[in-house]
Amino acid sequence: MDDPRALLQVRDLTAQFNRDGVPSRVVNGISFDIAPGEAVGFVGESGCGKSVTARAIMRLAPEGSSVAWGGRILFRGRDLLRIEEREMRDMRGRRIAMVFQDPMTSLNPVMTVGAQIDDMLCRHAGLSRRAARRRTVELLGLVGIRDPALRADDHPHQFSGGMRQRVLIAIAVSCQPDLLIADEPTTALDVTVQAQILRLLMRLGRELGMALMLITHDFGVIAGMVERVYVMHGGDIVESGEVDALFAGPQHPYTRALLAAVPRIETAGRTT
Amino acid sequence: MIRMVAVRLALTLPILLGVSIVAFVLMRALPGDFAQASAGTTAISAEALDTIRRNLGLDQPVWQQYLVWLDGALTGDLGRSFATRQPVTGELLPRLTVTAELTLIAGLMALTMGACTGLASARLRGTTDWAVRGLNSLLLAVPNFVVATLIVLLAGLYFPTVGIFNYVAFASDPLGNIASLLLPALSLALTVSVTISENTRAAVLEVSSQDYVMVARAKGLRAWTILGNYLVRNALTPVITVTGLQLAALLGGSILIETIFTIPGMGQYLFDSIANRDYPAIQAIVLVAATIVLLMNVVVDIAYARVDARVSYD
Ligand SMILES: Nc1ncnc2c1ncn2[C@@H]1O[C@H](COP(=O)(O)OP(=O)(O)OP(=O)(O)O)[C@@H](O)[C@H]1O
Ligand SMILES: [Mg+2]
Repeated sequence: MDDPRALLQVRDLTAQFNRDGVPSRVVNGISFDIAPGEAVGFVGESGCGKSVTARAIMRLAPEGSSVAWGGRILFRGRDLLRIEEREMRDMRGRRIAMVFQDPMTSLNPVMTVGAQIDDMLCRHAGLSRRAARRRTVELLGLVGIRDPALRADDHPHQFSGGMRQRVLIAIAVSCQPDLLIADEPTTALDVTVQAQILRLLMRLGRELGMALMLITHDFGVIAGMVERVYVMHGGDIVESGEVDALFAGPQHPYTRALLAAVPRIETAGRTT
Repeated sequence: MIRMVAVRLALTLPILLGVSIVAFVLMRALPGDFAQASAGTTAISAEALDTIRRNLGLDQPVWQQYLVWLDGALTGDLGRSFATRQPVTGELLPRLTVTAELTLIAGLMALTMGACTGLASARLRGTTDWAVRGLNSLLLAVPNFVVATLIVLLAGLYFPTVGIFNYVAFASDPLGNIASLLLPALSLALTVSVTISENTRAAVLEVSSQDYVMVARAKGLRAWTILGNYLVRNALTPVITVTGLQLAALLGGSILIETIFTIPGMGQYLFDSIANRDYPAIQAIVLVAATIVLLMNVVVDIAYARVDARVSYD
């Protein structure tokens, strides 16, 4: 249980929302580990608690709702559910970063794209404005934005959805976090762009030595990308294991149903 | 951007023309005219009244009177006041500056109070939200002339030494001048601040639940950075809109407030002119007020483009 190699150890995590005074539990005591530099997948249908789990690791509650977390989230030995808000704020972005589902609404429309990377670098890397901008341009180049020096001064509405997700990835990796949580990073994107974004995430994970928590509702996305998978259903982890083993012999009926939903082409492509 | 401003300014001209026609006709549709109003209750022969009308050109058809007025207005001559026989422009300008100052002070007060209470209400929620909204409903239910009357009453009752009707001219004592306008401006600002407060609150709440605010929090940014660069900057556009629109309300309110506090501004001038049926004066005031409101709208549009890069007028 207490694997010293683990970067993140989650134990009996629960999450409970308060809906008009009525508590409703949406994560029912789940446990999992992520090792340094490891890519792990989380699969499950809509509403099974994937995003709530991801946000619990960041200790972020959605605006205007109160959520109570239980259990332990050990990150390099520190329990994220018990540290001071100050320390947690230093962790966010610096140690643990997150890429969200919808790139169209995730960038601040009134700030330039560059400024939204700059502020992160100034905050965590303590860079001056000019040094931050130099690094921002490098980062934009790294995630595949052409003419990065020029585009840094553009506003988000001048970018396509795929490019915005690249920018959000640049923001997330800017301070070289140990863990990158990607919550359905391709769901809102065009099919052709999806593969590019996933490849980008995997490449950056390898190059920067980041652990990757890749959340999706689509087994096809996970295939060939991650080593291990956790299957979530109704706030529980119902099955976990190596991707290949899971594909070969799913134990839980829900996992089987999920696998059956993967388009044939994906599976065929994987086996050849 | 410059083209947009030029186009908008050019568009104000036909609007002003329309406003001047409507005002011209409406005024003459009011019962009575200057001759009767100036006669008051004293009995004057019908011939004498007719002589007055002939001298002022009131015996001619309305459209002809309008053309004469328009001809003068186009060359910057707004005619002479019936009551004083002085050029209207000369009478209006000093009063206009007084009203402009009052409206400006009231506008700044309303914006500060409204934005601060709205922001606090949206960010702190709980008791603060509850208190602000309660106060807002109360202020909204009470018209500003009642607030003004209350201020006058209370000040007279508890601080009889503080002269509240002592309007001080700016030229003679700038600080005293501003001080003498504070209470009138406050009573003018309260109702408007409610609108700004409610709109700020709604805008900030709306922005708070946006994804990019969650992203900002996930970046570990400091609370002040998130507040300034993510919440306030995005909530600014709707707040600018209401503030601009409320300027018309402030101008309208100043008529009553100036009358209550006996401030020699445009409002009191309008009040007297209407009572006298002093057509040229009324016409000039309406025109100036319309111009101010129209210009303010252009300023609001410029402000949009400065705040939000998505707004482009090309
Ligand atoms: N702010 C909230 N207030 C109350 N309940 C919430 C809130 N956010 C999420 N929930 C509930 O928590 C449960 C899990 O939601 P979550 O967003 O984690 O699902 P998900 O697995 O990420 O789904 P999706 O694939 O659609 O993103 C759902 O039943 C949802 O209704
Ligand atoms: Mg989700």
